[in-house]
Amino acid sequence: MTAILEFSDYQLANGLRVLVGESRSLPVVSYQVHFAAGSRYEKPGITGITHLFEHMMFKGTEKVGPEEFSRVIQANGGTLNAFTTTDNTSYYENLPAGRFELAVQLEADRLENLRLTQETLEPEREVVRSERKLRSVNSPFGVLVEQLFALAYEQHSYRWPVIGWDQDLKNLTLEDCREYYRVHYAPNNAVVVVVGDIEAEKVFRTVEKYYGHIPPQPPPRLTITPERPQRGEKRAVFKKVSQVGAFFAAFHIPGITHPDLFPLQVLCHALSLGRSSRFFEKLEKPGKAVEAQAEMGHPPFFFMDPGILQIYGIASPTIALETLEGEVWETIETLRQEPLADEELSKAKKQTRSLFLQSLQTLFFQGLLAGMYQVRAGDFRLAKTILPSYESITADDVLRVARKYLRPENRTVVLLQPVSQAEHEDLGEIE
Amino acid sequence: MNSRVKTKSFTLPKIFSALLQGGLKVYSIPKPELPLVSIHLVLPRGAEADPPGKAGLADLTAEMLTLGTQKRSASRLAAEVDGLGATLSAQSGWDSTSLHLFGLSEDFERLMSLLLEIYTQPAFPPEEFEQLKQRRIANLVQEKDESEIIADERFQEILFQGTPYDHPAYGTLKTIPQLVGDEAKEFYQRGFLPEGSFLLMIGDVEEEACFRWVEAHFPGGVRGKEAVSKTPSFYSPSGVKTVMIDRPDLTQSQIRLGHIGMPHGHPDFLPFEVMNFVLGAGGFSSRLMTKIRVERGYTYGIRGSLALRKNPGPYSISTFTPTATTFPCVREIFSLIQSFLVQGATEREREEAINFLTGSYPLKFESLPQIAQRIIQAEVHGLGLESLADYPERIAAVTLEEMALSARKHLHPERMLIVIVGRSEKFRGEFEPLGPVAIRE
Repeated sequence: MTAILEFSDYQLANGLRVLVGESRSLPVVSYQVHFAAGSRYEKPGITGITHLFEHMMFKGTEKVGPEEFSRVIQANGGTLNAFTTTDNTSYYENLPAGRFELAVQLEADRLENLRLTQETLEPEREVVRSERKLRSVNSPFGVLVEQLFALAYEQHSYRWPVIGWDQDLKNLTLEDCREYYRVHYAPNNAVVVVVGDIEAEKVFRTVEKYYGHIPPQPPPRLTITPERPQRGEKRAVFKKVSQVGAFFAAFHIPGITHPDLFPLQVLCHALSLGRSSRFFEKLEKPGKAVEAQAEMGHPPFFFMDPGILQIYGIASPTIALETLEGEVWETIETLRQEPLADEELSKAKKQTRSLFLQSLQTLFFQGLLAGMYQVRAGDFRLAKTILPSYESITADDVLRVARKYLRPENRTVVLLQPVSQAEHEDLGEIE
Repeated sequence: MNSRVKTKSFTLPKIFSALLQGGLKVYSIPKPELPLVSIHLVLPRGAEADPPGKAGLADLTAEMLTLGTQKRSASRLAAEVDGLGATLSAQSGWDSTSLHLFGLSEDFERLMSLLLEIYTQPAFPPEEFEQLKQRRIANLVQEKDESEIIADERFQEILFQGTPYDHPAYGTLKTIPQLVGDEAKEFYQRGFLPEGSFLLMIGDVEEEACFRWVEAHFPGGVRGKEAVSKTPSFYSPSGVKTVMIDRPDLTQSQIRLGHIGMPHGHPDFLPFEVMNFVLGAGGFSSRLMTKIRVERGYTYGIRGSLALRKNPGPYSISTFTPTATTFPCVREIFSLIQSFLVQGATEREREEAINFLTGSYPLKFESLPQIAQRIIQAEVHGLGLESLADYPERIAAVTLEEMALSARKHLHPERMLIVIVGRSEKFRGEFEPLGPVAIRE
């Protein structure tokens, strides 16, 4: 049994990379286009353009009307969506295998012929501002996480949120969108992934037919400044109406290709996955924390550049926030002093393997794994190294990464301090 | 581009079943693609069986099963489950309670032994019960900051007042502190081994191995007392009523509007599903999304959905919008429903909805828990397993007339309950012409 599908690889003359994973488990395919476009590539002043632009990709071409793309895919039995991250923007259609060519045709069309107009930009700008209010401003902890990244990063573009700052969303122009489209939406900046009940040769021929004539573009001039190593703890306080106090902490860790990410993942699981985890036993079970977690994403969602391992604690109403935070750092300190016992190591490793195998159940995820490793790490084959990497982790590896990355000097903390409605209003509107 | 989708035939995974001597029904669905197994023990009663004033008792009782057995303390049980890389959950939803273990197929027998132990030998340790209550109380306090959850819960509570669905399955800040350990123990003894329970195993384990293990280990007497069969009456009040939950700190309102709908097994369910795809469930193919998001830019998302329940569930339209557009958004939704009731769907919309529902149907059978969920729903809601195989054909046969009839019979703008979580002072006056407005904290 092969857990991860085998992929065939092909590149068009214009630079478009095509990866095909054949699977006959269901009569469907997942068609995905991953662009090397994310908030990482943005500049101050136009933050959020990557995500707003993702919305604009549904606004129609010369041949297809606004939002017609979605209607046509659904009318042919498909589901579809898109998502923007720090490091990639991805579009996908999961549809009956017999309708595969339709997805290729529509995706190639909007890569080449997108219609960008003021009339479609204006309502979409408001839709995105509403989405920002939902995810950040009015969510209990959304703004806290934004503040955390803004403080942890001083130079790198991960310091602003993928959805962008509200003022920038208000100021973005149609010209900004056109420029973004021209620079980032080129065949040589994209990877097409097809997974499912289809032959690789047929995919290569069809993709060649619809994308082959689209010219490549000069690669974008990158303006990404690497982050300097942090040399001491940074702290901030954010005040808002809240039922509970909470803290969110960030530790800088390496990017997606670094082998230390795997022991770090095992460490996160020993801390907070399952009811025998350290945080659950010490903090959640006795009712000190509503929730306490250590997380850093999972493959293929690891950051492309050096990223963040996040530790957060939401205090239960019966405990002072500083007491909770103190206990969390004590728990972390223990991990930096003593290696995991054999039983705890083997448990955390097995949990990690099991979770990864669970994620492989859908064709969609298998496609993401190949496409995002290609875009973020430069090689889809690296996905094959994940399971063996988990297997080889030792207690010494976990101890070493705990000492190296979970140092107080590498830590940034943002505290949520609950205030009254009157004080909340006095501090001005959250945007 | 919109001709009828003809896909290579999709066949459901093969479902093997057996009836144990003790009366327990057992399903086995071999799926060897990945070395995983998902095990579900389902009891046909859920939070609707919470006694009056005891909201959360069924779900709390279910979770207590995972917090210690006569052989193992809660900590040892957790270490055992985590040590297998598995996840264990026990939850009561509406109409059923489910014990779920998801792990690696290499551990199938150990997982089954654990499930049996949890199900038949729970210990209900008093200190675990108290800690669980405290955790729930803390969670419920924190959830007061989650405007989406408040909107969903208040909408259902008010809509289903006087019925068994009138409370959150998780419990409330009023009821949880009052519950005592003996109540959970008694609830388990009285109602957790009812007739109609079934066991489902899906994954990389052959059916013979499943049945052999269950026959050898599940005791014959596991069937307990009969499930309390309630046939509640559901009452949809006439008139439009608005309830606002005042949250002056929010810059965006959460909106829910709707009324009591129909049971999953209702003969009009499938025509309603096709009709509602056109009206509210079809994403960018739906009239609501086109009007409220695309044309007006009022929101990021809007959806009309009918909950799947054994008894009538809620039909609700859910969205959110900045404070200033709260009333215009609701007004547009009403006007759209009114005109949709008059004009109905078009033939093209019908065809596209059918293509979507039938074409994307195989995607609902990808992961093990997904497949299990489909089977559990069919069983618990009384649809029968054949409904899973028949679905595409029956959907494809739905006519425009049936859709229009289902809208007229089951969509009632004149009986809507509107719940809004947001800055009520900013829009309260605008809502008053629609009907009574109540403000709650």
